[in-house]
Amino acid sequence: MATLCKPKSCSQRTRLKKGGPVKVATLNQPWKRVSQSKRRMQVMKPVRAAPDSISEKVEKSVKEVQEACSDDPVSGECVAAWDEVKELSAAASHARDKKKDNDPLENYCKDNPKTDECRTYDNGSIIYIMTSFFVFGDENLELS
Amino acid sequence: MAVCSAYTTQSLNSTCSISTPAKTHLGFHQKQVVFYRRSSKRGGSGSGSGSSSGPCVITCSAGDSQTVVIGLAADSGCGKSTFMRRLTSVFGGAAEPPKGGNPDSNTLISDMTTVICLDDYHSLDRTGRKEKGVTALDPRANDFDLMYEQVKAIKSGVAVDKPIYNHVTGLLDPPELIKPPKILVIEGLHPMFDERVRDLLDFSIYLDISNEVKFAWKIQRDMAERGHSLESIKASIEARKPDFDAYIDPQKKYADAVIEVLPTQLIPDDNEGKVLRVRLIMKEGVKHFSPVYLFDEGSTISWIPCGRKLTCSYPGIKFHYGPDTYFGNEVSILEMDGQFDRLDELIYVESHLSNISTKFYGEVTQQMLKHADFPGSNNGTGLFQTIVGLKIRDLYEQITSSKTAAPLEATKA
Repeated sequence: MATLCKPKSCSQRTRLKKGGPVKVATLNQPWKRVSQSKRRMQVMKPVRAAPDSISEKVEKSVKEVQEACSDDPVSGECVAAWDEVKELSAAASHARDKKKDNDPLENYCKDNPKTDECRTYDNGSIIYIMTSFFVFGDENLELS
Repeated sequence: MAVCSAYTTQSLNSTCSISTPAKTHLGFHQKQVVFYRRSSKRGGSGSGSGSSSGPCVITCSAGDSQTVVIGLAADSGCGKSTFMRRLTSVFGGAAEPPKGGNPDSNTLISDMTTVICLDDYHSLDRTGRKEKGVTALDPRANDFDLMYEQVKAIKSGVAVDKPIYNHVTGLLDPPELIKPPKILVIEGLHPMFDERVRDLLDFSIYLDISNEVKFAWKIQRDMAERGHSLESIKASIEARKPDFDAYIDPQKKYADAVIEVLPTQLIPDDNEGKVLRVRLIMKEGVKHFSPVYLFDEGSTISWIPCGRKLTCSYPGIKFHYGPDTYFGNEVSILEMDGQFDRLDELIYVESHLSNISTKFYGEVTQQMLKHADFPGSNNGTGLFQTIVGLKIRDLYEQITSSKTAAPLEATKA
């Protein structure tokens, strides 16, 4: 498949964050849009993929393997290409895990557990809060 | 803590200033500190007049810096693996990448431990390996001389500038400073490959995952990625097998502890890799390391804890313990097949294991619960990794107490 633009800049235009369907205008290269969407329909939508750049690298490396291994499946080039696939898959899964761990609220609360957003309550305190809401609640709130 | 010896007879009760240590071209920091003695007379500086003359040179040999070096051979991970996180957690504190440094650094630092990824010692980056047609498993892609020099330096208390291998870009990034920690863990494919590095290790572990389990895990991990299919995952494992068998697998015989992960025998034809049979193979006669045992050391025991006192759900738990030989070495093997479903199963099992080097009853259970979200927390992988972590803590304490005892002996004599 011939691409007329550099792969990285193309993909930045055509990929959304979560690897969703292609939507961005590819009016100048309608043939590219066709081939992209065709590929999309054949591939199962990933549940949770790594940040795009690494995912693309994994995909690219798997394609490169086909080229390298077409001549000789046991050559050094083929084996090295598979090793690259393995390395990139591992990096992708680590990036996924890192993304999963990056909840901004959790990170903030790790360092500041006493702030209002981060306080955790046990049963007694919840009853206090609920009663205080009803007793001291907003005057505009009409309990009908 | 370092032992310093002063090489002049000058008294050091006058003010001295410390000059910054110089760096050699290999990235090692000098151990010598030069004190410049300021003259007590006003207006005098540098070498004073009278009886005081010249700087006094103090050489600090941090020979008893007590950096304990642990080697971990594992095919995946590199500082981010579950084993590393469990290990560092046993010592307390969370292990994090160095703050303010390269965000793609593979190093993990906590209060007591520093984990170094041996991929940082690749001599060829990804393009270089592709050109030469070698995998990362091949010794030709790794600089063992640098690995040996730097591990030796850290062990003797000298900070080093270690290169960084960026797994995302596949390039070798500028080095980062590694200060000698109390415990240094080197994790990677070749910790025991080079004989000189092997001699520096105080304890070594090999994580041996069988092919079926590896395949099942990789499917779960990589199928979410675009570009991967069942065939490509299988092919990638198969392609690396020759290099793996030639260079990585032989390290098993040098390891002090091998954690072997196999498919379960409790469920016939299970290929999901969820229930696992894990064997902890412990070498006999290793200094500061006493193997874990069940009931009676040196005998052969088969134990199913589920029964009247403990009810387990399918498929249950099965233990085995016994002496054996492994690549010509005397070993003791503790094996667990099955998984824990409840807390009381775990604590019941822990109460029957001996020599687990816990500081209090239930420590293994507590550690497993602390990381209940880690993979393997309900089977032998988590259990044995936690136990190995406790054994390493015990080993560290034995080594440090024996090292502090030695200088005391010398001063008494």
